[in-house]
Amino acid sequence: MELSDYLKGIKNNNRYIIAKAISLVESTLKKDKKKASELVDRCLNFSSKSIRIAISGNPGVGKSTFIEALGSYLVDKKLRTAIITIDPSSTISGGSILADKTRMNNLSKNKYAYVRPAANDCELGGINKNTRDTISIFETAGYDVIIIETVGVGQSEIDVHSITDIFLYLTQSENGDILQFIKKGILEICDFIIVNKIDLDLEKSKSLKFLIENNLKLIKSRSQSVFLCSAIKGNYIDDIWSGLKDLFEKNWKKGKIQSIREKQNINWCKQRLKKQIFKKIEDSCTYKKNIKKLENKNLKNPNTFLLEIIEGLKLN
Amino acid sequence: MKHNQHTKTNNFFIKQTKSDWLKSLGERRIKNKFNNIFFDPIYFQNNRKNITHNKDGEWAITHKIKIKNSLTANSEALKILNLGVNSITFINPDNSDLNTLLKNIQIDIIRINFEKVFDVDKFITMFHKFCVKNEINSNNLKGFINCKSLTKDKYYKYKKILPNFQFLKIKTTSFKKKSIQKYIDFKNILFVHNINKNMIEEISFLRSFRINIEQSKNISPFIEAIINTRNSNYHKLIETCSKSVTAILGGCDSIIVNSKIRDTLKIQQQLILKYESNLNKVSDSLHGSYLIEEMTNSLLDSEKNNFKLSFENNYWAGPEEIKLKSKYNQKDAEGLSHIKYGVGKPPYLRGPYLTMYCDKKWTIRQYAGFSTAEESNKFYKKNLKAGQSGLSVAFDLPTHRGYDSDHPRVFGDVGKAGVAIDSVEDMEILFNGIDLNNISVSMTMNGAILPIMAFFIVVAKKNGVKLKNLRGTIQNDILKEFMVRNTYIYPPNPSMRIVSDIFKYTSKNMPKFNSISVSGYHMLEAGASADLEIAYTLADGLEYVRTGLKAGLNIDDFAPRLSFFWGVGMNFFTEIAKIRAARYLWTELIQEFNPKNPKSLMLRSHCQTSGWSLIAQEPENNITRTTIEAIGAVFAGTQSLHTNAMDEAISLPTNSSAKIARDTQLYLQKETGICNFIDPLGGSHYLETLTDSLIKNARSYINEIEKVGGMSKAIDLGIPKLKIEKSAIQRQSSIDLNKSLIIGLNCFKTKNNKRIKILDINNELVQKKQIKKITNLKKKRHVNKVTNLLDKLTSCCRNNNENLLSIAIEAAELGATLGEISFACEKVFGRYQAKTIMNTGVYEKKHINNKQFMSARKLSDKFELNNGRRPRILAAKLGQDGHDRGIKIIATCFSDIGFDVDIAPLFGTPEEVAKQAVENDVHIVGISSLAGGHKTLIPKLINSINTYGENKIMIVVGGIIPKKDYNFLYKSGVSQIFGPGTIVSQAALEVLKKLTDGIK
Repeated sequence: MELSDYLKGIKNNNRYIIAKAISLVESTLKKDKKKASELVDRCLNFSSKSIRIAISGNPGVGKSTFIEALGSYLVDKKLRTAIITIDPSSTISGGSILADKTRMNNLSKNKYAYVRPAANDCELGGINKNTRDTISIFETAGYDVIIIETVGVGQSEIDVHSITDIFLYLTQSENGDILQFIKKGILEICDFIIVNKIDLDLEKSKSLKFLIENNLKLIKSRSQSVFLCSAIKGNYIDDIWSGLKDLFEKNWKKGKIQSIREKQNINWCKQRLKKQIFKKIEDSCTYKKNIKKLENKNLKNPNTFLLEIIEGLKLN
Repeated sequence: MKHNQHTKTNNFFIKQTKSDWLKSLGERRIKNKFNNIFFDPIYFQNNRKNITHNKDGEWAITHKIKIKNSLTANSEALKILNLGVNSITFINPDNSDLNTLLKNIQIDIIRINFEKVFDVDKFITMFHKFCVKNEINSNNLKGFINCKSLTKDKYYKYKKILPNFQFLKIKTTSFKKKSIQKYIDFKNILFVHNINKNMIEEISFLRSFRINIEQSKNISPFIEAIINTRNSNYHKLIETCSKSVTAILGGCDSIIVNSKIRDTLKIQQQLILKYESNLNKVSDSLHGSYLIEEMTNSLLDSEKNNFKLSFENNYWAGPEEIKLKSKYNQKDAEGLSHIKYGVGKPPYLRGPYLTMYCDKKWTIRQYAGFSTAEESNKFYKKNLKAGQSGLSVAFDLPTHRGYDSDHPRVFGDVGKAGVAIDSVEDMEILFNGIDLNNISVSMTMNGAILPIMAFFIVVAKKNGVKLKNLRGTIQNDILKEFMVRNTYIYPPNPSMRIVSDIFKYTSKNMPKFNSISVSGYHMLEAGASADLEIAYTLADGLEYVRTGLKAGLNIDDFAPRLSFFWGVGMNFFTEIAKIRAARYLWTELIQEFNPKNPKSLMLRSHCQTSGWSLIAQEPENNITRTTIEAIGAVFAGTQSLHTNAMDEAISLPTNSSAKIARDTQLYLQKETGICNFIDPLGGSHYLETLTDSLIKNARSYINEIEKVGGMSKAIDLGIPKLKIEKSAIQRQSSIDLNKSLIIGLNCFKTKNNKRIKILDINNELVQKKQIKKITNLKKKRHVNKVTNLLDKLTSCCRNNNENLLSIAIEAAELGATLGEISFACEKVFGRYQAKTIMNTGVYEKKHINNKQFMSARKLSDKFELNNGRRPRILAAKLGQDGHDRGIKIIATCFSDIGFDVDIAPLFGTPEEVAKQAVENDVHIVGISSLAGGHKTLIPKLINSINTYGENKIMIVVGGIIPKKDYNFLYKSGVSQIFGPGTIVSQAALEVLKKLTDGIK
């Protein structure tokens, strides 16, 4: 397919061509990478005013169910919604299981929705290197809302924060002292905290909400909202959406979104560069050789050996 | 009430002895005469004799070849050896050229026998020369040469050349020790025994024969079993199978089957008995059985058992990972806490009823249903006439899932894996001319239980049958649907409320009706090991008991009406132990609720032979498999039984295959005499040890479920599903690695591709007929009244103020359809969507050293290198077919191999699955089809994918696809089809190769 075919297809919201375009940006082949980069370049000219939402939270907190609920609410309003989900690949086999659609039954069928699961290609962090480009493709295709679900472990929150406009963090009251489980730094970066599964225990949920709000007051950096929610019953989804929308509109008018996006781009470049450099080193023969040596060695003082390697790789 | 520890209950139950049992029987006595001695039908621990012999569990599979010329006899022998025979008998060898006859036959590994030798002297010399010339040490050879007359000199001469040969053939029945010349060593005698159809007596006779000789001669005799078939209506494989089991349990050294059955089937029957049923693993497996020891003992000349065991114990393990030995003795079973219990009294270890089959044989209940109510009705009537004693209705998938036949989502599934029932009218036709006063009806229904029970009750009323006389069973086991079978409609909580409403209604109005059949069968079929099957089924049962109590019922109001449904697989002794263990554990669990009626503690069973154990290659082998499983179910003391038809692995049974299946049970009831005995295997040290291990394992799994708060909670957490799936993957990988053998599938493959006749349902036609009936019904009924009642049902779902079944009955009477009644509830309850949680890495763990697996993985890496991303497959089911064991195994194995595997939600239409395939831009769509909808659904899927653009998505299909449909599917655009029993890593390799070729 030619670039112009891709572009035309994407602009016409052709599901098949969008799918192919995403595969193109995911490709690790050199020739594809070049093409993909050109395609994204051209896509950027058509970027629309879509809301990019990140959703994070510990495993089992109900992220998929929440997306199914919020997404279903949006497509009912005829808002075109794209969902990008990221699952871990096995570091051994390289394969993955992408079962997200089984938890988003309604969205997976709906014509206003586009659900695209991706594997993280064994990269740490909750997104993969192409998530950002995938967003551009969906924006060019005119999607109104773009939701990114992350695996909720490790670096993911910081990574996904760097490519989205609004950050939602899901939690639940099941474990009483949940606050300790909210990772450091998350309260600083998130815009909304959702206390999910209130159907299980409303009282506990309410007191958790209160606790979080008190904690947020201590940070005081900016205003964040805490919502109650039962994704499985669809409770408070409308409140959450209007909260999201209001925040976005307010910031858009102020031009804040646009400036944040620009900053994000710079950060993104830095991050990619780091990863690329590391990968380059990792793939080099010297590195591989030394690692092999290291594994076979009975190390007493690791520093000596470390210095040797660093010298060997000319990193000093 | 909390159930954290289930150990203290032992004191509640009373040990049973012979006199206890006789006392319970009152004046009555039941006796069996054998060898001029009267035997009781049951024996007990306190009067057990303990005698055993020294032979291991193996036996030779012997085959006779008549020599016409040496060359053809040789090639026939080689062919037969390839099939798995390890003992050959040549007839008329005198004039043959041994160099030709024995060419390429490894006579030092197999047994080699010669019959009808005219000049023995000359022949043995010739044979000896042959050995010398070919550098074979004749001292090591084993076999038999029939010598009509054997003088002392000749005997010594022959013995010197062939010390391990037999030269005399003596019938066991006419054998007298004194008639044997003193100089003849007993190891040089071949004893032949014609196996009689009476199983228990024959087993006892064979044991006593061996033990007698071992005791007096200090040598274990060589006994060859001859199995003949008579002219009868029964399929010969049923008879040879039952007789083979007899010969093996009796401890024969060799088996010859003389019957006009195809050689392959004859031989593979023996292989199945060895490798699938593990009957060669344990020596004298019935040693310890109270009854069999008693009978054996009565046949012995002397009572002293001075023979020393010189047995070397080997160890082995089945899927339960219980360590098993190759010989069990009294010591092994000593101190097992369960063995003191008996029959007809709690804890019902040896059977729920005092006299078991002596008074009431098990019900022959064949599960059937297909197409329309009219067609199924005809089939039922025919079966009842042919000797079936109860009915068991299979509904089609749309009915299960609460959809009328005209619903847009069910295209392709109507009338396919069962009968389509949309309204009372259909139900009326289904039972037309069948006397519901006398015939008990079992209905496999869980999801759409309200309309189906309502229709059944309305039809009974219309036919003038009083509800209190209605006998039968409704499956109503919704919990296992969330675990394995997936034909649920509503989420767990409202589903459990429906269960409780059914309990309330039936306990009040239908006292003879089993209001639930707690099912382990589907777990077995989904890949659960025996201990998991017991544990999760009983834990489900516990949850239902609590539901009943919560609904305000007394334990004795409904516990006696709970029944259980087990699958019986190929692992013979484990399967028998399983059901005995379950009976015991259930009493233990229910005792905690302090029932007054002992029947509340009684676990009654329906069994079905395992459909999973059947394979598509050589379908007639499935007759053997089903017969073995049926014998197992009967030895376990089941109350009713379904035997699968041999074509069940491919499609719906035809008339003739259904007859063979039914005959299997009739044969066991009428011919084998096993109904004269009660728990005949009880006491066997092997069986009791196994029973004990299963009780312990299952108990710990049950405690695990109790700890998280019972089964509903455990299902919510996904515990049982994951455990069962893990067990299934392990089972699959042990087959793929040839650690578990399945004859004809991963070993002893044959090339015979004989197609058997199968039943094909034209589902479009059925759907048309059903739609017409629905349209007519809707025209003639009173619309307002129906709508009012449906609204009432909806509001009752919301407010929980009335019994849902009572309202459903009213609605059904007025002509409300199944879909309408279901939807009225769905409005409040919603439709359940399963969460998919997956095991990963399980397959990989076992396969890491497997060549095929590793080359598949390499190929997937290479694919990424060449194409820029990993091979990506969408694993999907189409339509209402919820059997997802296969697709999940594929998903996890493929991801272990290195695929990115997308999983589609269950119950998707072809259009929905197409959308997902395109969106995810997969290379392959893998469809698993088990309910027969493939011919309509798969072409629709392909068309639908093609509407998105020029497309290269490869379609691969697996599951139950009849051979004759292959071409049709290929023409529709399917690129590969994998039948039941495909080795997963091999399939992955083939798919990858084709994919790589396609992209080039």
